[in-house]
Amino acid sequence: MMTDIPVIQTTYLSKSYGSVEAVRGVNLSVRPHQITAFLGLNGAGKSTTIKMLLGMIEPSSGEGKVLGKRIADPAESVELRRKIAYVSENKRLYDYMTVEQIIRFTRSFYTDWRPDVEQQLLRSYELPLKRSIKSLSKGMRTKVALLLALARRPELLILDEPSEGLDPIGIEQMLESLVAQCGEGTTVFFSSHQIPEVERIADNVCMIHRGRLVIDASLDDMRQSYRQIDLTFSSLPEEKELRLAGVESIRTSGRQMRVFVSRNAEVVVERARDLHASSVEVASVGLREIFLETVKES
Amino acid sequence: MFFKLTPTTGQPLYLQLMQQIRHAAESGALQDGDQLPGIRTLAEELVVSPNTVVKAYSELEHEGLLELRQGSGAFVTVKRRARSRTDDVHEARRRVGELIHALREEGLREDEIRRVFEAELLHATEVVRR
Amino acid sequence: MLWYKAWLETRSRFLFSLIGIVGLCSFNVFYGDRGALSYSKSEYYYRVLGAGHVFLALMWVIAVTLLMMGGLLRERASGVSSFTLALPVSRMRLMLVRIGMGLMQSIVLVIVPWSVMFLIAATVGKTHSFSQAAFYIALLLGGGSLYFAIALLISSLVEGEYTAPIVSYGIALALLIVFDGDKLRSYDPWRFIVGWLYLDRHTALLAGPIPWLHIAVTLLIALPMMTISIRTIQRRDF
Repeated sequence: MMTDIPVIQTTYLSKSYGSVEAVRGVNLSVRPHQITAFLGLNGAGKSTTIKMLLGMIEPSSGEGKVLGKRIADPAESVELRRKIAYVSENKRLYDYMTVEQIIRFTRSFYTDWRPDVEQQLLRSYELPLKRSIKSLSKGMRTKVALLLALARRPELLILDEPSEGLDPIGIEQMLESLVAQCGEGTTVFFSSHQIPEVERIADNVCMIHRGRLVIDASLDDMRQSYRQIDLTFSSLPEEKELRLAGVESIRTSGRQMRVFVSRNAEVVVERARDLHASSVEVASVGLREIFLETVKES
Repeated sequence: MFFKLTPTTGQPLYLQLMQQIRHAAESGALQDGDQLPGIRTLAEELVVSPNTVVKAYSELEHEGLLELRQGSGAFVTVKRRARSRTDDVHEARRRVGELIHALREEGLREDEIRRVFEAELLHATEVVRR
Repeated sequence: MLWYKAWLETRSRFLFSLIGIVGLCSFNVFYGDRGALSYSKSEYYYRVLGAGHVFLALMWVIAVTLLMMGGLLRERASGVSSFTLALPVSRMRLMLVRIGMGLMQSIVLVIVPWSVMFLIAATVGKTHSFSQAAFYIALLLGGGSLYFAIALLISSLVEGEYTAPIVSYGIALALLIVFDGDKLRSYDPWRFIVGWLYLDRHTALLAGPIPWLHIAVTLLIALPMMTISIRTIQRRDF
């Protein structure tokens, strides 16, 4: 069912602008036929990483392969782009073209174009074919950009903040389309800082913070191993007593400690009991808490 | 069949889906021989990853509740064994319901009760592990 | 369909320039020699034609610089470069199509106005000399390649939506100033394309053979500039 060859694979991919390290030693390994979310704050390095994958930015160091082709080789980059559909963060298109013209233009580059999906999306997005792109609202423009990527069956779909510019109905339609694409075998890799969307459709989460990959795991594994452990002590032990493997952060307030773990919750609970904790409460955490804790600690 | 998946809790969606399918089979909403929606259809309807549906269906097939037929889809098979399991679950629910009612009478709040169950379940896990 | 895109992108500018230049040149051929006394008509006419050519050359340089406004760097200012660069085409091909379209349009902007002027002059019975027209066309195409290359190079180096043509015009002006001295005058690219280096003051005709060597040297300067433009775009981060 699952092949082992990653669709996106990077080895210590880095990009520096002078003294600013936008992307630091990122090792991505994106599995095929799954939906992987690329999570991070604004400016964390998501767009830079994606642009390196697509050959728009030259890496400062490190390597990457997409669909088996090297991203740093211009000829191979052209090859890999044949099989990729991409929606950029700004979703800008040619102002001097009409909706119809840009569809005709884009269609000509890809053999995997799907006229039936094009028609269906034109209807559900209610796009005016003869209108110039310049005159479209941002939401309409976003929908055109999405159509140009989704009216295809690419091997890999890369989207940078796909829900930006869309109203709730548009977002729902977009998520449905991503799910549909995955159902047909396309690997979906999308960057976002909208936690609710990621929680619904992502199989895997790659979290990038200040240029570093801080989390790379399946969302279900994260749900099953991240825990928030609230402890009460009559006399507080030192924090270092509880800094076991998997402990991401410890906060103390009065006689209580809140321990946030990415794994090994049971070991921490056992240690807490050994230290005579008067109360132990373990709660599972949603992706929002995991995200916030991770970026706070780093 | 109506499903409701809550992504914001810490529980994996495929487990939620499995629970709801099992519940449907126990309560009779799904009966022996009923066909569940195809993987892609259900994924698009619920707007979740197809892999979530795949996991849920495979696990349930492993448990014996579903039969996945190549090309046709997923069919409910409520076997003899599963039926008695249904009774077990019913009984467990009844007992837990009574306990929760009693705890509420003693003044414990909803979330306190939930945390107590969680902590004890975890404790039980580590006991088993040792 | 990159040619289609290049056409849509420059269509308005090109047609506006073409109609404008052809209109003004035609007007010049019809009425430019009004008021000249009949005995000096043909000589005056050639002066008019010569002056008209200066005007044509000026409009041509302005138009070509505007036409070459564009490319990935301009697209970056609006953000659409992300779309273009995601297409499965090499940057080289993108540049070559842009250059190709620009060259074709620039050539049309020389040939068509001159042809129209020639035809109008022929039909209304005014003097017209094919060899003169050919001389002027050769000067404008050969010498104009420098201004074309400057516009291309600047549009590949200078960011912003409208900054590049302004810088190119600045450079053209700077060249005028630099080459104004006695020693450099015969190498002045502007005096070259308007024909002043070959103008006979008495007959108002361009004298001598077409200066192929000078044209070749100009092209030899323009070519590496175009290569640099391509390389710059290939190496840039977007």
